[in-house]
Amino acid sequence: MLGQLLASSVTAGAVYALVALGFVLIHKGTGVVHFGYGDQVTFGAYLVLIIQFLTGLPFWPAVIVALFASAFLGWAIYNGLMRPLRNAPLLVQIIATLALGTVMREFLRAYMGPNAWSFPFLLTSSSFDLGGILLVPANLAIVGVSLALLCLLFFLFERTFRGKSIIAACDNRTGASLVGVSVSGVFSSIWMLASVIATVAGILVAPVLTLSPEMGLIGIKGFVAAILGGFNSLTGAVVGGILLGVIETLVGAYISSALKDMISYGILILVVLVRPQGLLGILSVKKV
Amino acid sequence: MRLRIIFSVLGIAMFFLIPKLFADYNLYQFCLIAVTSLIVLGLVIVTGIAGQISLGQSAFVALGGYGAAILATNWGVPLWLGIPLVAVLVATVGFLLGLMTLRVEGHYLALTTMAFTAIVQLALVHADAVTGGAAGMPVPSFELFGKSLSTGAELYYLIVPITALLFIVVINLNNSRTGRVFAAIRQSEIAAEAMGVNILVYKASAFAASAFLGAIGGGLLAILVTYLDPAQFGITQTVYYLAIAVVGGLLSPFGAIIGTTVFVFLPEFLQTFQTYLGLVFGIMLLGFIVLRPKGLASLIDIENLKKIVFKSRRESVGS
Repeated sequence: MLGQLLASSVTAGAVYALVALGFVLIHKGTGVVHFGYGDQVTFGAYLVLIIQFLTGLPFWPAVIVALFASAFLGWAIYNGLMRPLRNAPLLVQIIATLALGTVMREFLRAYMGPNAWSFPFLLTSSSFDLGGILLVPANLAIVGVSLALLCLLFFLFERTFRGKSIIAACDNRTGASLVGVSVSGVFSSIWMLASVIATVAGILVAPVLTLSPEMGLIGIKGFVAAILGGFNSLTGAVVGGILLGVIETLVGAYISSALKDMISYGILILVVLVRPQGLLGILSVKKV
Repeated sequence: MRLRIIFSVLGIAMFFLIPKLFADYNLYQFCLIAVTSLIVLGLVIVTGIAGQISLGQSAFVALGGYGAAILATNWGVPLWLGIPLVAVLVATVGFLLGLMTLRVEGHYLALTTMAFTAIVQLALVHADAVTGGAAGMPVPSFELFGKSLSTGAELYYLIVPITALLFIVVINLNNSRTGRVFAAIRQSEIAAEAMGVNILVYKASAFAASAFLGAIGGGLLAILVTYLDPAQFGITQTVYYLAIAVVGGLLSPFGAIIGTTVFVFLPEFLQTFQTYLGLVFGIMLLGFIVLRPKGLASLIDIENLKKIVFKSRRESVGS
């Protein structure tokens, strides 16, 4: 019983981890928190459907086109919105990302309707038995992809020159540009990468949750996961996500399913108050 | 001074004239504008003037509306007493939430207040014994001196004066030491603190004020819509209030009125495009925050107007 619960909680957690990875990437890389990221995840999944409608492509080619389209979307978001606002007050940036999410959600509601769409599983959704625990390949794909993404991003940040220049650009824009890093180029590529991750997450998550314009609410869970793990730590995002999934499932199973969501938002407030750097994050010192 | 008297007389005359000129439905719309602008006014204080981002406004509205309705339904507390009573309690909650700003700011404040809204909404859904759960609850009718108010005209005489009164209080507060301290905190907390301001108390007070206005607005909204549904009080609704504040102008109390008027009347003009309404609101929010972050109120230069008024007064005194 407990084993089965943990297995399914890891799936739920991997969904949160995937969304949290996108947040942390944008925050670590550009210093912005994308409050509309949950809606962008939804938008990514819809993008596949929209491309199928417009071009009549089969599913897999449509996925590939959607991934390229979302990279372009990320480029457009940075250059059309976030770059002009790079020196704006934090408040303006927060509201701008909230507005971006609202526009995406309302566009989907107007263009694709408010009702849910069915979305195919990437792998089969029929479960198989492994030592008494039922596992679903489609869910395992989510876990696998989030771990793979983590490794990829970790490698990018820690082992490549590009990654170092990203950290440098975020840490000190003037300094980075003095030593020859194209700051806007770096930020642009961060947004492209984060948009692709959003679409990947959307495609994986859409069949598990229900694909409707409201699916973007998953974004808040992503925030909780990111905060729990540490908003600047990629590993923290995955650990936070899985941990949140486990906590939610255990609370839902043993205490009360009504309390499940409330507890996870409570965790957000508690962590922010008690340990704002999260479990694995490093506390940044505010300079005057 | 003479000018202020003239404006007051004109305002009061208009207040009594409007019900004679407009249909009941329009009066109902005016009430809706008044109530919404009161809610947005709270956001203008905390986020616009004091610079503390709050995504908790719809939670305060929900607590105000549900609180008064539950007191009336379960304990027979009349709404005219229940609404202010609950608003004071909600203001205390707002103060406590504001005390968190000691440790939390910027992104984290946005996230915590967002989580607060989500928790309040979930609590309303799950406490179905008193709130009616996801289905919602009816609001008892508002009775004053044994007469129940329900038509647009009757509510107009109740809601508009309350709104006007609270706006006058806030505008005066904004022009006082308190308002200047809020503005100082927005511009630089460190500088304000160095000037000897107890910034924590002021920030918490800004949250308390926004919670109070939100709760009064929530109570009046409950009377107006007569039915409370938890779906109306989520994060989407908070962003909607924020959009009104941004479009109207975050820095000015008048912005709340301007923004609300736009958001209430726009659906009337866009009747054939109902499906695109949300999209239009979203694009407006995005467009204003990028191109004109100080909103419509900044188009009307109030400082300049004051100068004109003062100048003409000086001339009239001189002549």
